[in-house]
Amino acid sequence: MTNTIRRQILIPQPREKVWQALTDRATLAEWMYPNDFEPRVGHHFTFQVPPKPEVGFEGLVVQCEVLECEPPSRLAFSWSVGGPVVNTRVSYRLEPDGMGTRLLFEHSGFDLSQPYGEQAFQGAGYGWAKMHEQLAAVVQGMAAESD
Amino acid sequence: MSGTVFRPREEGKTRGLTGKHSLTYTSRMVAVSHYEADVFGAISHPARRQMLDLLADADHSVNAIAGHFKMSRPAVSQHLRVLRDAGLATERRFGRERRYHFVPGRLGPVREWIAQYERFWDERLQRLAKLLSKGNKG
Repeated sequence: MTNTIRRQILIPQPREKVWQALTDRATLAEWMYPNDFEPRVGHHFTFQVPPKPEVGFEGLVVQCEVLECEPPSRLAFSWSVGGPVVNTRVSYRLEPDGMGTRLLFEHSGFDLSQPYGEQAFQGAGYGWAKMHEQLAAVVQGMAAESD
Repeated sequence: MSGTVFRPREEGKTRGLTGKHSLTYTSRMVAVSHYEADVFGAISHPARRQMLDLLADADHSVNAIAGHFKMSRPAVSQHLRVLRDAGLATERRFGRERRYHFVPGRLGPVREWIAQYERFWDERLQRLAKLLSKGNKG
């Protein structure tokens, strides 16, 4: 039962450039969401996921804390939304690859044993069930965006 | 198929996962089938996940499963019952013994959920790559 998402991408830019896109607040907002990120271990920040009324999504706030920050090679932060997605961990490793950068991405720690996971399905409307609708709406919203 | 899994707009439409199509409506009128609820509930307990891991290797009798746990046999049976009710395990007879059998296909909703998150990150990482390829904000 996998609960870790891993991806690798090759980017034809030096690590410093990629690092900036990952850690500069404005750039980060361009490919993620508005945020108050700071590249400093222990910094608490949020991603503000905007509402998408057209798909019935009310928006949400992702609570994060910087866990690792070693420019230009390593960045990790916690990622909490609620339900089974509390204190999950998002991490990026940047490795030089020729003239470019190999970016190793990981999102781990989806906690299937979250204590309120069970209640979630007894009508509380939170946890997995809520995650379903939120994420589906976000993904749909993104699809609409790129149309 | 990823686009057909969770559609908040299509309330009341059954999804053809199994024969069990009872639907419930949340305040926002999003359909969540009880069947999926059962699966997520079933795997929310660490003991039950461990039982599924055992069954993923081979079919086991209740006694064999109980041998891996400190809890009482009735407690083990109770957990197995939850797995059975969620369709994640079935009971089969082997002579005088009944063995539990794992039904991995029923984990579909969980895989689909993770797949949604995968899609989310795929799109975000693509945006990142695109942004960097434009060379702006550099």
